[in-house]
Amino acid sequence: MDNYPALIVITPLLAALLAGIAAWTEERLSYPIALIGLAVSMFAAFKVLMQVITSGTINYRMAGWAPPMGIEYTIDLLNAMVLLIVASIAFFNLIASYKSVEQETSDRAGSFYAIYLLFVTGLLGVTATGDLFNLYVLIEITSLTSYTMVALGDRDRGPLASLNYIFIGVIGASFYLLGVGYLYLKTGSLNMVDVANILSGLHGSSTILVAFILCMLGIWIKMALFPMHVWLPNAYSYSPVAFARIVAPLMTKVMVYVMIRLMITVFGLDYIFETLNLSEAVVWLATFAIIAGAVMALAQKNLKKMLAYIIVCEIGYMVGGAWMGNQLGMTGAILHILNDALMTFALFLAVGSMVYKLKRVDFIDLKGLFGKMPWTMAGFVLAAFSIIGVPPTCGFFSKWYLILGAFEAGAYHFAAALVISSLICAVLFFKVFEICFFEPMPEGHGHEDSSSHVAIEEAPLSMLIVSGLVSISLVVAGLYSGTIVNTIILPFLQ
Amino acid sequence: MKFLGFIIVCLTGALLLYGTGEFPGWGDPHSPASIHLSNDYIEKAVEQTQVPNLVTAVLADYRGFDTMFETAVVFCAGLACFLLLRDFKEKKERFYRHTPTGVILHVKDSKKVLKTGKEFEHMDKDWVPSDLIIKTICRILIPFIQIYALYVVAHGDFSPGGGFQGGVIFGSSLILLAISYDLKVLVKRVKEKILGIFAAIGVLIYVGIAAICMPMGGNFLDYSKLAPLVPGDPHHIRALGMLGVEIGVGIAVTAVMVIIYINIVSEGRHEEGL
Repeated sequence: MDNYPALIVITPLLAALLAGIAAWTEERLSYPIALIGLAVSMFAAFKVLMQVITSGTINYRMAGWAPPMGIEYTIDLLNAMVLLIVASIAFFNLIASYKSVEQETSDRAGSFYAIYLLFVTGLLGVTATGDLFNLYVLIEITSLTSYTMVALGDRDRGPLASLNYIFIGVIGASFYLLGVGYLYLKTGSLNMVDVANILSGLHGSSTILVAFILCMLGIWIKMALFPMHVWLPNAYSYSPVAFARIVAPLMTKVMVYVMIRLMITVFGLDYIFETLNLSEAVVWLATFAIIAGAVMALAQKNLKKMLAYIIVCEIGYMVGGAWMGNQLGMTGAILHILNDALMTFALFLAVGSMVYKLKRVDFIDLKGLFGKMPWTMAGFVLAAFSIIGVPPTCGFFSKWYLILGAFEAGAYHFAAALVISSLICAVLFFKVFEICFFEPMPEGHGHEDSSSHVAIEEAPLSMLIVSGLVSISLVVAGLYSGTIVNTIILPFLQ
Repeated sequence: MKFLGFIIVCLTGALLLYGTGEFPGWGDPHSPASIHLSNDYIEKAVEQTQVPNLVTAVLADYRGFDTMFETAVVFCAGLACFLLLRDFKEKKERFYRHTPTGVILHVKDSKKVLKTGKEFEHMDKDWVPSDLIIKTICRILIPFIQIYALYVVAHGDFSPGGGFQGGVIFGSSLILLAISYDLKVLVKRVKEKILGIFAAIGVLIYVGIAAICMPMGGNFLDYSKLAPLVPGDPHHIRALGMLGVEIGVGIAVTAVMVIIYINIVSEGRHEEGL
């Protein structure tokens, strides 16, 4: 079977359609269908990663047509890794989210699973493809589904957050498409490798420069790089739990992947760092993103909002690392895609469990939570340590590479911003720990109708198991980060 | 803030103009877009795919993978409309017309449902369509529109046309039914459940045809491997595969058009609306 590359993307799509049919006929089947679809996809992604590690890049031709004529999936070490991350987080989140979906969208759960699967299909397709236009089509699917799911969240604010997200997201996607249009005008091709070959003779062209700027701006808007982040905090904090838990770790990370892919495979690092010499400006932008994200996170009174701003800050890390112009920085950025996906997932799993029990997660709602939900909080603490960058957890190692890269490039401001933001994260999380640990839980949990209120207790087992697994993976990924760098990232960069 | 926006717009405009500096000339036969791949498509497509329509060959075969996801986008739009707009609560007030006399009844009690049929006719609150001319003409036109839509779908691989266009025409014939009569008539004829299932089945036909190629020994979407399954000339198998795919697209687009229309005009209640 050489069809694993196609299966990674096709099984979630097939499962989405079957779940959509089941939603109308036998709704309780939608969940198992979704689960099987994602399990197969995860298995295929694992197989592909193993195959890429042992025997190198896989080229899979859709419909059998040779690349510039047809569409090709080009799976090398980088996207094989990202594919496995996306597929497995989507799968485990689905396990953890069964109860949340029941609670939040019970009357249309089947259709919810269908749209969830389509979202995952989009992310996987964006990651797997080797074709610039195919990438756009799948960004479109990812965006459409995420607008929908944001609007399904908070009854009052979800739709407005979604509307803002649509306006900004559409602008981002159109910028990217316009950039691809400019590229096509000068090269006549859409296949990434083919475009890169033709581009090497066109380095001085103004059209290519504009195409590059447009593509990057579009992707930056989509990944919410400061100051283009305004849609993100509301969209992530007012969306349903099941969606917040997958979009927060994956969406921005996949967009960072797309940025790195465009930089390395399509435009080429020589063009960016030598012909255009843009490194310094973008690293400054990333520095501002880090500081701004951290400071805005300080101002928040709601746990979800705070985490959303921390994501804005983390995006700064990855963009800065990728644009540092040296191997260490790029290694840090790629390693951080993996690590940040894991730790954001762990954080949002914990927050999801809290929302499931508490409904609201303003800081005042969290009082005394350590006593009530000890296991959930344990996972939260570990993830928080990883975000701060405490050594055995994985967050430390990618930050280490990023700081080394910054020193090598002479970008001391970036290194300083990184350290400062880590300190701010420490302050933020210890503030939350303090509220959860020392302040007693108020009678009736702050709600007026305490009689109808269910007693706060530990989250459902399904959420706890996934949370535990992910927390362990944080430490494992940390301990094995040397192996990951040596088997995946360094061979890819050479 | 407005000033800042103005500056950004000006800068973007300047950037776009700067980029046009090195564009190939208008209609230049030697521009990269005209020489890099186009010649290959023009010279080989008919021979390789046995489809006389080059646009279809590129759309449904060379780049059929994109089109599959475009169909998924359409499905996604229908699903989004259902998820966000559908409101299962029934309206409290109802209006009926007593057909023989034309008297209009206003029923405020939601439990009291009059039986509609020969004597009473359901009607919308702010929409009073009982124009005989419009109804009759639309009734005559709708079947022709639908047959035309089927032709457009079936001609996808031979002449201009295809699943998207045919689906839109078929969907609009159903919407015309809702406009000329009222929404109830359409909702009664075409059940919501059927629409929901057909939207998914349409895309499933596409993905299914593409996926069957894998166990038959080809890559995903490689129609040529379907030859053993279909009787007839194996040279035309790619054209047949494209036709099947177009039919799937047509079904999905039709269903999604109607889903979007019904949900938007009735604010998700499926009772009354334009």
